Amino acid sequence: MAAPFTLRKIGVPPNSANLTEARRRVFDFFRAACRSLPTVMDIYNLQDVVAPSQLRFAISAQIRNNAHVTDPKALPLISVSLVIDLLLFKGMEELTDIVDHAKQRHHIIGQYVVGEGLVQNTGSKDQGKSDFLKNFYTSNYV
Amino acid sequence: MALRTAVLRHLRVPVTGSNQSQIGFLGSIRAFSSHDDHLSKQEVVDRVLDVVKCFPKVDPAKVTPDVHFQKDLGLDSLDTVEIVMAIEEEFKLEIPDKEAEKVDSCPLAIEYVFNHPMSS
Repeated sequence: MAAPFTLRKIGVPPNSANLTEARRRVFDFFRAACRSLPTVMDIYNLQDVVAPSQLRFAISAQIRNNAHVTDPKALPLISVSLVIDLLLFKGMEELTDIVDHAKQRHHIIGQYVVGEGLVQNTGSKDQGKSDFLKNFYTSNYV
Repeated sequence: MALRTAVLRHLRVPVTGSNQSQIGFLGSIRAFSSHDDHLSKQEVVDRVLDVVKCFPKVDPAKVTPDVHFQKDLGLDSLDTVEIVMAIEEEFKLEIPDKEAEKVDSCPLAIEYVFNHPMSS
């Protein structure tokens, strides 16, 4: 699997020197992900499920999840830019997997569409049934 | 009636203005030129504003052609990059990173798209 990864040199180390460079790398990664969106939608046949703008929103939401990693005092032993580099590496790996069709459609839909709340998963079988059953399905405890 | 025709025979009356402006408008469309499918400024403005309004975090009522993404709409830098990517998708462009960093507000975006030769 080394060959497909070397095609994408964007998120590869050397480590970023300071926070501004790490920030620039985050934006470069985001742009690369957005530019590969048409390919992704084509591979996994997501044209009817979700729009590219919604997927962009999902990607930015995932990046924003880790936006709190900017405080140098919270991580005294490791530099913040190293942590950001690691998160970028994982993101790059995920993007490469998705573009290489190493994932499947239900992964993408489960993680990025339903997971971010873009499309509500209305269980048509459960509609009209009792509240007790609905609560029972969600959890054992009230 | 006779006086009128007699006077008209001796004068040259210019063509009326509305006809002329119509011909002027038609004269700007060249049928076989490949350089004329450039977007009009108003169309660019409308489409850019549509893109910004469709952004989920933006309040559509606040969007005007001279709004700044971070200062007026309260977005952060990641949202700015996302809006620029949405504009790239809408106009089928590819904006290089250095230029994309400078596009910070609606008027800059409109100007960049309008000046780009490949926007469609």
